Amino acid sequence: MSRHLIARARNSFGTVLLSAVAWVVLLYLVLPLAVVIAISFTTTEYLAFPPVGFTLRWYQRFLADPSYVDSILLSARLAFGATLIGFLLGVPAALVLKRSTLRGATFIANLFLSPLILPAIIIGVGVLQISDALGFARSFEAMLVGHVVIILPYIVRTTLASLEGFDNSLEEAAQDLGASGFATFFYVTLPMIKPGIIAGCLFGLIMSWIDVEVSIFNTVIAQSPIPVKVFNYVQYSVDPMIAAVSAGTIYIAFILVFLLDRLVGLDKVAGQQK
Amino acid sequence: MRINRFWAAILLGIPLIYLIVFFVTPLGMVFVDSFSNKAGELTLENYAIVLGDPYYWRVLGYTLWIALITCIATLIFGYPLAYYMSLIERRRAVRRLCFILILMPLFTSNIVRSFGWIVLLGREGLINETLMLLGLVDRPLRLLSTETAIIIGMIYVMLPFMVLAIASVLQNMNPSLREASRDLGAGAFTTFLKVTLPLSVPGIVAGTLIVFTLSISSYVTPRIMSGGRSVVSSMLIYDQFMLVFNPFLGSAIAVVLLVTCFLLIVAYTLLLERRQPAR
Repeated sequence: MSRHLIARARNSFGTVLLSAVAWVVLLYLVLPLAVVIAISFTTTEYLAFPPVGFTLRWYQRFLADPSYVDSILLSARLAFGATLIGFLLGVPAALVLKRSTLRGATFIANLFLSPLILPAIIIGVGVLQISDALGFARSFEAMLVGHVVIILPYIVRTTLASLEGFDNSLEEAAQDLGASGFATFFYVTLPMIKPGIIAGCLFGLIMSWIDVEVSIFNTVIAQSPIPVKVFNYVQYSVDPMIAAVSAGTIYIAFILVFLLDRLVGLDKVAGQQK
Repeated sequence: MRINRFWAAILLGIPLIYLIVFFVTPLGMVFVDSFSNKAGELTLENYAIVLGDPYYWRVLGYTLWIALITCIATLIFGYPLAYYMSLIERRRAVRRLCFILILMPLFTSNIVRSFGWIVLLGREGLINETLMLLGLVDRPLRLLSTETAIIIGMIYVMLPFMVLAIASVLQNMNPSLREASRDLGAGAFTTFLKVTLPLSVPGIVAGTLIVFTLSISSYVTPRIMSGGRSVVSSMLIYDQFMLVFNPFLGSAIAVVLLVTCFLLIVAYTLLLERRQPAR
């Protein structure tokens, strides 16, 4: 009896210690983001933490600067464009890889996933080389094809994963009831694998949106995606205006996390990241 | 539902062609470039430079060193968090909060995250102010543009990957295994050591592999945190391509980095396989 009590006391002490460590780590994860958001509201001309006063001046200044707004729009076009192409290429590829009795299907699946483990900087360099050879170096299109390469693995993998535990009898039932192949796909298969596809596409969207390594080698000279623009700026100086731009990207991250939670559930996302 | 051959060829063929044109071919071009010179001749001179100059070895060694430290540190900090999340399975709201706090940095660009650290580590940043307030130092420490800054930034950027890799394994672990261990009289700590930890090895392997490969090729964080000095291989690659305009030497550095990374991963997996006979 007493031994049991001691074990329980030790257990709860261990649990408390574990929780404490976990929350310190979580704090460490949000602190820099919270700091960036906080200083974007400072009334001082320099970076002040804790911020002095409260102003939206820096946000106004950044939104009034067309070069920043253009960068954000460029990033958005890039991210949505790459995700759309990634979706059109990745989902059918995953479907065929899972359904066909093709020899070498595992090898091809691994080929589709391999950009994940390859250093992004080498993909960036490679895209520069091929786009140069094909005559569209340093353009929106060059960044676009590069981004498709880096986000394709996310879409292929989540689609493959959602087909993993698929119950074929449902499709058979639909076909027995007279549904055509297309009808079966759109009314039965697609709705069932939709969460996986959405998760993959959202992850792809984010990876394109925050990418620097691929973009930096293929940037349009006049205009660059927002992470590259901030990167070039931060290397030489940091000020409250750039904090406001950075804070803006954090708000967007929050919206994406919220969407992911709503559409797929954050628990499910855990196993599907890089 | 089976897909007929014609459609299968089209649906898989187009993506495959895309991947060959924009992924496989470019890698081949980088490889060929690393054996070329400006005159377009095949040569080994790029490798003679990269492998013959101690400077390049030093940078490569430093790149691996940073990646190794990042790996170990993210494992030490990330494991307790992942484990905690597996224990609060039934507290949905807390779990969701944990996921939000982990995904937020992951969904924010490395630049913005490193920018936060610039503010925290600055002369009058939060860290220095706190240290001064506590009386631990009497004048601000120089924290930015140091190795400490690079490592802090790298750990920060990589931590979410490690936590999620381990959490996904712990989450799928059968809880009855832990209960069985408890019922057989093992304490919480013993259960963790003998049951949970060994079963989470795949998560640790996945996490360390992801963090290591990402760290080795990381460009943004080391550049910002080091104050711009070229200290890791990815910076040398960038400089050769974009500043010095010598893509041939840049390609050779990239190939050396890639091969080193590949060999280390193979060695690591072989070592693990020998340690852990097939289950």
